[in-house]
Amino acid sequence: MSEVTEMFSAPLTFNWTLSYRCNFTCDHCYSRDEECPELITDDLKRIVDILVEQQVPFINFGGGEPLICKDLYEIAEYASKSGLNVSMNSNGWLLDEAAAQRLKDVGFKSVGISIDSFEPSLHDGFRNMPGSFERAVHGLDALHKVGLKSTMSSVISRINYQAFRELLDLARDHGVGQVYLHNFKCSGRGFKNREDLDLTPEEWQAFYLEALAVKHQTKDLKISFDDPVIASLPEYQEKTMVKGSSCGKLSLHLQPNGDITPCGFIPVVVGNILNDDFESIWFDSPVLKAMRSKEATGKCSGCAAFDDCQGGCTARAFATTGDFNQPDPHCWK
Amino acid sequence: MNKPLRNPEIVWRVEKRRQAEVLKALETGEDVADTGTVILLLSGMMHQLNLIGGMIWEQCDGQKTLADIAGELAKEFSVEQAEVESDVAEFVADLAERGWLINE
Repeated sequence: MSEVTEMFSAPLTFNWTLSYRCNFTCDHCYSRDEECPELITDDLKRIVDILVEQQVPFINFGGGEPLICKDLYEIAEYASKSGLNVSMNSNGWLLDEAAAQRLKDVGFKSVGISIDSFEPSLHDGFRNMPGSFERAVHGLDALHKVGLKSTMSSVISRINYQAFRELLDLARDHGVGQVYLHNFKCSGRGFKNREDLDLTPEEWQAFYLEALAVKHQTKDLKISFDDPVIASLPEYQEKTMVKGSSCGKLSLHLQPNGDITPCGFIPVVVGNILNDDFESIWFDSPVLKAMRSKEATGKCSGCAAFDDCQGGCTARAFATTGDFNQPDPHCWK
Repeated sequence: MNKPLRNPEIVWRVEKRRQAEVLKALETGEDVADTGTVILLLSGMMHQLNLIGGMIWEQCDGQKTLADIAGELAKEFSVEQAEVESDVAEFVADLAERGWLINE
C-alpha cells in the first residue's frame, strides 16, 4: 500500500467533466478536440451517490464549459444537498447575474473564471472569442454582486508570464479572493500549440521566483500554484499534503461517460465509476500505483530535489514522452 | 464550552480503513497516539486527529455536552467516565482555541 492509500481512503476532489462541449476554442485547451458520450441525469446522480458513499468531499465541474450543460444546476443541487462541496470553472461567457444567483441558490461554494490576460485583446485572441474578456469580467462582477465566492484562473503562457501582477490587480478590482496561476499543460491543443505558448525551463524558473516573491509580499489576495516542479525551489516553503503531482493522490478526473482518469491532462482510463468497484480502482489500479511511486529517471536520478518534486508534473512528462517517470520538461535543473 | 460544535468551515472525513487498522493495532498494544484517523481540511491545509481525538471530534455536534462526550468515550473504551473527563475538556479547549470548535 502506498503512503497515499495508507492515509486516504478516497480522493479529496473529483474534477468532473460533464461534457467536452464548449462555446470557445481556446489555443491551450486540453479537451477541445475530445469527444465522449454523455450520461443521462439519473446516471449523473448515481455518480454523486457513489462519491458521497466514498466520502469524497469536493467536486469541481470543468469541461468543456459547464454552463452549457443542461444538467449542471440539477446535479450541483443534488450534490450540494448530499453534502458535497461544489465548485466549477467557467469561461464566464454565460455568467450573468441571474446565472450567478442560480449557482448560489443550488449550493455552489465557489466559481472560478478563466482570464488569461489583463489586456482584453490578448485574452480574446487566446480564447478565439471576441468580447470574451468583457463577459468574463462581468461574470466576476455578477458573482461578487450575488455574494458567491469567486476565484480567477490564469494559465501561464507566453502571453501573460511577464504581466501576472496586472492579472492580480484585475482580480482585486473585481472582488476575487484567490488567483490560481496554473502551469501550462502540453495536452490536446496545448500540445499542438506548445511551441508558441509554452515557456522555456529557464523562463519557468524565473517566473516562479518572481511569482513566489510577490506571493510572499501579498496579504490581500491568495495566490495559488499547482505545479509540482516549483517544489525544487528553495524559496518554496509550503507544506503540501502530498509530494509531487496531486493527480491520482488527492484528486481524480471524471470524463463525461463516467470513465475515471488520474487527471484531465492524462487520458489514461483507470476504470469507470458506474461499472467498476471504486475501491478497487483507488487502491489497486496499476496506473495510479505507478503515479504514486515514481522512479527517478534521467536527470532526476541523483537530483536532490526529487524527494520534494517527484519529477514534477506527471501529465507533462507523460504527454511528451509517454512515460510517467520521465522528468518534467519544464524542469530547469 | 459546554456543547462544542465543529466549525462548519472545516471539511472533515473519517479515514475508515485507517481507523480500522488503528483499532486492530490497539488490540495488540501498539502505540497509535501519533496515527491520524480523521482528516480536517481548512484553508487548503490538512490536519489530522488521532483515534481518540477523532472520536471526540465526531461527537462535537453542538448537541452533546462535554459530559455526554466523555460518557461515550468511556463506554467505547470500558473505563470510568471520570477518568476521561479532564482529557476531553482539555482536548476540546485546545480545538476551541484554534477555532476548530465553536460553542453552540
